[in-house]
Amino acid sequence: MAMTEQISMNRAGAEAPSLPRRSRNPTFWLTAVLGVVLAVLVLPSVAILIARSVMITNPDASFGGLTIAHFTRFFTTTGVLTSTYNSIVFAVFSTVVALLFGGAQAWLVERTNMRFKPLAYMTTIISLGTPYILYVGAWLFLLGKAGPINDVFRMVTGSRGVLIDVYSMFGMVLIEGFLWSPLVFLLLSSTFRVANADLEEAARMSGANVFQTIWNVSIKMAMPAILALALFVFIRAVEAFEVPAMVGMPGGIDVLTTDVYKSIKETIPPDLGYASAYSVVLLVIVGILLYFYGKLAKNAGKYSSITGKSFRPRPFNLGPYRWVAEALVIFNFVLLLLLPLLALLWLALQPFMRAIRPSAFSAMSFHNFATVFSSEYYRDLAVNTILIGAIAATAAVVITFFVGWLSARRKPGGVVLDQLATAPLIFPGIVMGVAFLMVFLSVPVPIYGTLWALAIAYTVRYLPYGLRYSYAGVLQIHHELEEAAGVAGAGPLTMLRRIMAPLLSPALVSAWLFIFLIATKELAVAALLAGPNSQVVAVGMYDLWVNGQGGELAAFGLVWAAVMTCLAFVFYAFARNKA
Amino acid sequence: MLKLEHISKVYPAGRNEYAGGIRDADFNLEPGTFFTMLGPSGCGKTTTLRCIAGLEEPNKGRILLDGRPIFDSEAGLSIPMHRRNIGMVFQSYAIWPHMTVFENVAFPLKVSKAQRYTAAETDKAVNEALEVVGLGGYGARSATQLSGGQQQRIALARAIVHRPKLLLLDEPLSNLDATLREGMRVELKRLQSELGITAVYVTHDQTEALAMSDVIAVIEKGRVQQFGSPEDIYFRPANEFVAGFIGHTNILRGKALGGAPDAVTVELGAGVTIRCHADCEQKPGETVAVSIRPENITLAGLREAAANENSNSLSGQVGSVSFLGNVLHYEIRVGDQTMQVESNPDRRFEPGADVAISFAPRHGRVLPVV
Repeated sequence: MAMTEQISMNRAGAEAPSLPRRSRNPTFWLTAVLGVVLAVLVLPSVAILIARSVMITNPDASFGGLTIAHFTRFFTTTGVLTSTYNSIVFAVFSTVVALLFGGAQAWLVERTNMRFKPLAYMTTIISLGTPYILYVGAWLFLLGKAGPINDVFRMVTGSRGVLIDVYSMFGMVLIEGFLWSPLVFLLLSSTFRVANADLEEAARMSGANVFQTIWNVSIKMAMPAILALALFVFIRAVEAFEVPAMVGMPGGIDVLTTDVYKSIKETIPPDLGYASAYSVVLLVIVGILLYFYGKLAKNAGKYSSITGKSFRPRPFNLGPYRWVAEALVIFNFVLLLLLPLLALLWLALQPFMRAIRPSAFSAMSFHNFATVFSSEYYRDLAVNTILIGAIAATAAVVITFFVGWLSARRKPGGVVLDQLATAPLIFPGIVMGVAFLMVFLSVPVPIYGTLWALAIAYTVRYLPYGLRYSYAGVLQIHHELEEAAGVAGAGPLTMLRRIMAPLLSPALVSAWLFIFLIATKELAVAALLAGPNSQVVAVGMYDLWVNGQGGELAAFGLVWAAVMTCLAFVFYAFARNKA
Repeated sequence: MLKLEHISKVYPAGRNEYAGGIRDADFNLEPGTFFTMLGPSGCGKTTTLRCIAGLEEPNKGRILLDGRPIFDSEAGLSIPMHRRNIGMVFQSYAIWPHMTVFENVAFPLKVSKAQRYTAAETDKAVNEALEVVGLGGYGARSATQLSGGQQQRIALARAIVHRPKLLLLDEPLSNLDATLREGMRVELKRLQSELGITAVYVTHDQTEALAMSDVIAVIEKGRVQQFGSPEDIYFRPANEFVAGFIGHTNILRGKALGGAPDAVTVELGAGVTIRCHADCEQKPGETVAVSIRPENITLAGLREAAANENSNSLSGQVGSVSFLGNVLHYEIRVGDQTMQVESNPDRRFEPGADVAISFAPRHGRVLPVV
């Protein structure tokens, strides 16, 4: 306000009015336009959740008067307590599993002289491209009642029971932990990669043995990063939907996210008010957790010690214990990659889901694959998913390119844009689904059930990811490179187009691929938003699973995962090159 | 050509503490001047340069380029940097790695709004600029394949290709190694005078400043301490800071006792007085600094010192001596102060030896204490 006043005042008495003024600054207009776009994308979903949660919803979905009934119902239902308890147990233990599996591997691969390192990377990359449902389905088969593990158990012991009941909290924790361990591996391996070997050697020279060194130096130096990552995985596990839906719901174990899903999908008419109140509570929980995560993450790089000078990682010599490390990595590879793939292949080649028996081998055929390739349904699924993924990735990258620059260069308004684009992080996928469902139902445009609905929701969901890429990318570009363009006569927009965008392109391509890869796997948002004409792969696979069409699911999933894995390899090569 | 009127750019800091920035910079440059802002790091010289370029907005003051205001805080006027038509060479060179040498240099012409350049004109201008900096024929190379010195030249070519009237240089030689730096120094100066361009140069290296400049502003803690020719700055420093910052010097504290401007008597310790030259007024009894350059001091054995009325003589004791090749460097205790003296290595005094220090009154300059 003050500035506009000053300018208009000056203009009245100005002697050279033809000269350009601050108010015509293109950066200002860029900020304003982005502000409006982001506000329209992000704010309505929050607003409508809060409105629905404190108001009566009439049968025709219009708003009635104010009420606190939804919240009192939430806080007095005993089921909620159980779900909360389940959510916490589920999240804590799957975090532990993921950290143990992924973390140990990351250190071994990055810092020791073990062999078979490529196996660990392969596991990670392929898991980046594979939809979670596919993994979950494969493990459910492997660990299930008729699966090979219980089969072997029965054969060995002669009992008729099972070794593992997979539809249990134990099964949920195990599978969720498996799902997250590749990501933990990926993130922690970059932490261990930049750790300075001099520090470990200094500990050895001071008289510490191998284990004292690992414990006192290697692990403690990585501790800030590990803690931050642990909280991150914990948050994602609280928000998780795939495993709770596919493992928990059939086993009668409800968590917070499945409760929300049920109050929309399994209640007729959908209980919007209750779902909203539930969602608001989840938002608050995740918001608080993210606040602490932010504090931890700030410290994550505290001990990282890249100096740029003669930095040469020296691998730790494991000596005679090398085989232990190698066994762990191979075990991981078999468990996370080989077994699920073999299980899927088995399912894909069988006419229906059945245990692995010699008699079943004769029934093997490519029938499922043939169905998948000839069916229009599967083709539509693939086309829709790729289309939505591409639109969302492109939109999110374009928006966050500008926001990242404005924010990293501390332009006026940049902080606000940054916060708006980061805000979707507090939405668990299922909550975002609920929010956008209500937003789309209340706008006059018939957008609900179209591909656009999904594309918009995905764009918003992945804004924070795009922003992290572009923000970090801009920070790495010396400010003089853009100032030189300005002094050379280029306006801000020309500079962004001709200097910033090309220089940032590796980060932007990485961001695009990453968003595309996770968007094409997304189930939680799509589960509530996909209409009959806007089915996507994840939802289609979930339906196939629920309907017991495991064979087609496996065949389709394998083909899909193969294609996505190729993209994941490109992404990985890009990300690795940049680092 | 370039005129700064009371330019201030102050960063918020605790009360009166200095936290960078410039206060009340005020000067006027004739066309074709090589002007250097010299000072220790963080003194505000780069801030001033960035204000001229339009990379920062001053809080107060007015900047005129060629008689036209480009910044005026009172009129609320600030021409954005891309319309100021200034050439600038950055400390990091800021060569765009995704472009070839030719594309880097052609950039100012490509984005120019004031004038459209045809492909042929662009070719010609770029090749001329590359020729001028000695990189003719390098156009097709990728900019990142070149050495630091060559990148420096590209940056220079890019800054002059659109024939700006003003060239800004932000410590352009500080990233080069010593031999290359000397060569570039000579070449930069030659280029500037050939092009007849006004240059504003920022450095913390006094040798660079003295060798290249027509006019120097010595800046400390955001204030211009002295504005003048290299000779002025070196031989007639305005105050203790300037004397200490430019070249080596001995600063002795004392009390002015009065006398003619070229023969002010200063009392150093109890009873020890010297006669010095002063460009400024002192009140009798005022504490002053006396600057004596090491190369103007003669060292002799105590007994050999010939009494000379036109010379000051102090007695002292050798604290340490080090051999630097062309000279011997002494630290000599004189009363409770220490002086640096350089002398011919033909004669060597060992630590502990009593020596006589003598210098002409015109070499002892009385300066205000800062």
